[in-house]
Amino acid sequence: MSKKLYAIFAVVLMASMLLAACGQAAPAPTEAPAPATEAPAPATEAPTEAPKVIKVCEITDTGGIDDKSFNATAWKGVTDAMAEFGIEGKYLESTQAADYEKNINAFIEEGCDLIVTVGFLLGDATKAGAEANPDFKFTIIDYAYDPALPNVVGQVFNTDEAAFLAGYLAAGMSKTGKVGTFGGLQIPPVTIFMDGFYYGVKYYNEKKGTNVEVLGWDPVAATGLFTQSFDDQNLGKQFAIQLMDNGADVVMPVAGPVGIGSAAAVKERTTADKPIYFIGVDSDWFLTQPDYADIILTSVLKKMDATTKAVIKKVIDGTFEGGLEVGSLANGGVDIAPYHNFDAAVPAELKAEIEQLKADIISGAVKVKP
Amino acid sequence: MAEIIVHRKVEEITPRRKYTIAVVLLLIAGLMTGLFVVTASHDAFTTFGLTPGGITRGSVPDLVLPTLEVLIGLTVLVGLAGIYQLFKGFGRFTNLVLGLSFFLFIFALLIWTASGKSLNLGGLLKGSLLLAVPIALGALSGVMSERSGVVNIAIEGMMLMGAMTGALFGSITKNFWIGLGTALLAGLLMAAIHAVLSIKYKVDQIISGTVINIFGAGLSSFISSKFMQTYEYLNNPPIFPRVPIPVLADIPFLGPIFFNNNIFVYVLMILLIVMQIALFQTRWGLRLRSVGEHPKAADTLGINVIRTRYMAVLLSGLIAGFGGAYFTLGSIGRFEELMTAGKGFIGLASMIFGNWSPVGAVSASLLFGFFENLGPSLSLLGSKIPNQFTSMLPYIATMVILAGVVGRGQVPAADGVPYEKE
Repeated sequence: MSKKLYAIFAVVLMASMLLAACGQAAPAPTEAPAPATEAPAPATEAPTEAPKVIKVCEITDTGGIDDKSFNATAWKGVTDAMAEFGIEGKYLESTQAADYEKNINAFIEEGCDLIVTVGFLLGDATKAGAEANPDFKFTIIDYAYDPALPNVVGQVFNTDEAAFLAGYLAAGMSKTGKVGTFGGLQIPPVTIFMDGFYYGVKYYNEKKGTNVEVLGWDPVAATGLFTQSFDDQNLGKQFAIQLMDNGADVVMPVAGPVGIGSAAAVKERTTADKPIYFIGVDSDWFLTQPDYADIILTSVLKKMDATTKAVIKKVIDGTFEGGLEVGSLANGGVDIAPYHNFDAAVPAELKAEIEQLKADIISGAVKVKP
Repeated sequence: MAEIIVHRKVEEITPRRKYTIAVVLLLIAGLMTGLFVVTASHDAFTTFGLTPGGITRGSVPDLVLPTLEVLIGLTVLVGLAGIYQLFKGFGRFTNLVLGLSFFLFIFALLIWTASGKSLNLGGLLKGSLLLAVPIALGALSGVMSERSGVVNIAIEGMMLMGAMTGALFGSITKNFWIGLGTALLAGLLMAAIHAVLSIKYKVDQIISGTVINIFGAGLSSFISSKFMQTYEYLNNPPIFPRVPIPVLADIPFLGPIFFNNNIFVYVLMILLIVMQIALFQTRWGLRLRSVGEHPKAADTLGINVIRTRYMAVLLSGLIAGFGGAYFTLGSIGRFEELMTAGKGFIGLASMIFGNWSPVGAVSASLLFGFFENLGPSLSLLGSKIPNQFTSMLPYIATMVILAGVVGRGQVPAADGVPYEKE
């Protein structure tokens, strides 16, 4: 009896560990795009010299590789580089904070040429890993070390520049005179979106003499709405409902996949005569969340793919050195997405003003922070 | 069990407890005076919206309250209760009065924070209910299983599997009923594993539950990342629409909150009533509970302990699967990895706080939901309480209220003990 019991028990336990592991590290996508690189090799002069394939390894935060948000966008940078430069890409997903260090060590073992750690939350683990392994190259998204580490490139984004445009647009589109936002955690890479959004709305008020209100964030008092979670969609839905109950007709959640819950809430509430708009963050939600295409006014794009690819390029060229890679409106590292379905709904005048505003921010004529 | 109840009654009327409660009540009144009454501005009004947004049936005009006057009224009420308790005592109503006073305090906090502004109270309450639905279903799932003596900490895993399966098959068939059916089935299957391991093979029930949680999280994340996130048509289930109940939905204030929801809320209400009656008023329930309290005695009287426990665990799995389906088919309309976000565990805690009774468990869940939704409400009103603290509020408040008001729990005596027939 007891033998049978242990057998069943062991099988279930192993199956669960196996499945848990499979859920994390899916090696399949790493192999496929490689052939693209081999084609040009024979055409050039030295076919015998086997080129060393650069191995780029990404570690996600707890949002997972297909969060349709920043983990996914950074991974797109790797896959783009795989297609273009013929590198090898791999990733590991972190399911909890304790995985960060473990995953970094796994990639050190693996001998990766560049380790991409995605997110502010991996800041400490990346620093520890980089200091312990000075021969390895790291790049981390959303973290700037001070002082800079010689083997880490921090990718930072002037997200507030793009969010400023979104705030201006939101204020221009709002009929109720209230727009809302909330965050996942009160950490700089999240609040920078909310800051930009807030000051964009204020700028609109200043220009137009209106009094559009921002619900959910006050950068001066540094208080606002935060779910304290990047997983709980049901709570994200409720946050959006609260914002709408309080009169907001534009909602911008800065909480990764939790925003999906908010999109569901907006989709439920919006009507033809009282439209409620949704602003995505990180990636263009119109493309990544086609279910909600009808409510997405625009998205604040943070092009981790562009900056990650730029860092990979530097590794390939041998020009990699520790420091910062800054994405801004000027170099296209941040932007707002096209209006897609709402292209006709956004007045031409407002569109022109936003284009002008974009130029002014790039030239420095308009400051996104007071 | 009768012994324990008598013991608790004695405990309630000890002079020490009587005076402690009196002091607590006076303290609450003092806090209300110091925090709210003194600082409230004169001639200010608090506006409460009573109808949740997006609903037209049963709507009522806003409630406008003079802030200071109402605050003084509430404070006096709590103060008087404290004085009465000090000299005479509420006897067996003591805990009820304590609970009510706590709520008056929260109400005063809302009125004070929303002074000169407007707060949608209807929306706040409805949101609380919706946040509580999965927790309450998890709690009921726990009650069902643990009343028969099988600890079920696998609710989270069962819910995740229910959520994933419901979304997957709901998307394939484009039919939420089929989605719901498969979600129930998934919960049932997970429960069957738990039942076989813990009843037949007498594995430590905590370990068996943990294994199922890991298994559920792993399998659902695996299927999600391999298929559902890659192929959009596999993760696009229809959502159960809101169905207003005729007549009841038109009741002012209460109608929009309780009777204008989707099937999950209604089933929760029915399940609550049915389980409460079935467990405590029927022969079936008596047998189930006797198996959880003293299986040997039950066996001697001819009750099939093993079969009763199997049934209870399987029913528990069905309820958990239903709770999981709420996430994908009742609320969000797609599956995301680990989207149950620990609600199964919170449900388990609600069950314990609610003293292993359906009514208690659901009440604790509602409390949790309320405080979870209260944080953002206060924040939106411009309260200066840091959001990290308001996020702790549901956990702290649930603990304080339930520890202070509900008191010591009564665990089914044979909970977690495998039954060994001699």
